[in-house]
Amino acid sequence: MLATRFGLNPNSSSLGVDVTFLFFGAAALSLITPVMAALLRLRRPTATYVEPTAAKDG
Amino acid sequence: MWSRRRRKTAEGGPRRFGRLRVERFGAIAELERPRALVFVDRALARRLGAEPGAAWRDPAGDGDVGGAPLSAPLEAHLQLTNRCDVGCQGCYTGATPAGAPREWGAAEWMRAIDRLADQGVFHLALGGGESATLPWLGQIAEHARRRGLTPNLTTSGLYGLAELIPIAHLFGQINVSIDGLGPTYAAVRGVDGFAAADRAVRRLRQVKREIGINVVVTRANFGELDEILAYASRRRLNEVELLRFKPAGRGASAFAHLTCSDAQHRAFWPLIRRAARRHRVRVRVDCSYTPMLVHHRLDRRLLEQLAVYGCTAGDFLVGAKATGALCGCSFAPAAEGRPGLDDIAQYWTQPGAFGPFRNWRAADEPCRSCEYHALCRGGCKAVSLHLLGDASKPDPECPRVVDFRRSGSARPERVRLPVVM
Repeated sequence: MLATRFGLNPNSSSLGVDVTFLFFGAAALSLITPVMAALLRLRRPTATYVEPTAAKDG
Repeated sequence: MWSRRRRKTAEGGPRRFGRLRVERFGAIAELERPRALVFVDRALARRLGAEPGAAWRDPAGDGDVGGAPLSAPLEAHLQLTNRCDVGCQGCYTGATPAGAPREWGAAEWMRAIDRLADQGVFHLALGGGESATLPWLGQIAEHARRRGLTPNLTTSGLYGLAELIPIAHLFGQINVSIDGLGPTYAAVRGVDGFAAADRAVRRLRQVKREIGINVVVTRANFGELDEILAYASRRRLNEVELLRFKPAGRGASAFAHLTCSDAQHRAFWPLIRRAARRHRVRVRVDCSYTPMLVHHRLDRRLLEQLAVYGCTAGDFLVGAKATGALCGCSFAPAAEGRPGLDDIAQYWTQPGAFGPFRNWRAADEPCRSCEYHALCRGGCKAVSLHLLGDASKPDPECPRVVDFRRSGSARPERVRLPVVM
């Protein structure tokens, strides 16, 4: 797992990022990575797979 | 065109997470609970159902987020109208009661949303002007939902509330712009709208949990940020999004007296960290604040893991003006050649697309030697364009850039007139 962007950005002028985990410093890493990886694996059985034009050409 | 396939395991069953979009580094998986976009490498992408394709031809690309622009934006910021009766002094779109000439209507926006869905865009951020007054706002939100995109909305809360309440459920997140409490609101906006905005917050919160506020941080409200977070806590809001003041639209004229001082920029992160903990409020900060975060030498791996980037205009995000003109972000001028948002598939892969927004690697000092440059990408290009006349220059409000200039290492910049976008 490379990165996780949490939440939805309602702001139509710039890209917001949830900084809550930054408050906890490096300790947050040891929490986020395994939890998100586990969630992905648990929900792996079905997915919608999409491949955009640019990725095909890229 | 997109190939869009539903893949099922032997067990079949319902879809358990949203789309999985192939990227050069692997893929992006959309999780609905918790709401997240997860960037994974090729090995994990394969396990999740992605298949090797042209995007994975170069082995060096595996796991390299940021090594090349994404295959499509994560989100698109749509300025549905530039009509607004309020006339705030810092309005970044320069909205007026008449709006812009040749604004798009519902049919054009829905067609463009189809193109964004084809490209695999995940989220929309809808704004204006004041979009809540548009009679077809609900149609746009419903159409986005049908096409698999999550629409989100920013509103001033000053108009259109009665129309917004019945369609609030269509949006993932709605934020009301509140730049100060009581008289501070007027000091920032030049318009006394706090009572009406607060009423909108309370009414929306009665019908929806995912309600927050957007706060443009300025010299006038910096000292009140702790109280603003306390306010959000009292109103049981799910987030506060803090935005740096941008010199665009009418904000170009107001920039000199409203932008935060250098001392305030340096104090921003410690202040927010304390206030968010004290009031137990979830805080988001916008991309232009990345230089002010990394100034405190935050853990780079953690920043990478949370995808905290600076300017990702023309990469993670795109904007569209009320006329449908495509731009790197909402503060940027229309892209060269004035492609429309519905031309995004063709424009995205053109050489030179989004100009300086994608050329962040060719940076001057002190960005070039900054260990955070691959994340920060030179800070806010809208600020560089306004103050220096060149969007590719290092963000002149970044503390590191300020120190670099004070040390005398920088060659004097040619002073240019401010650019009004």
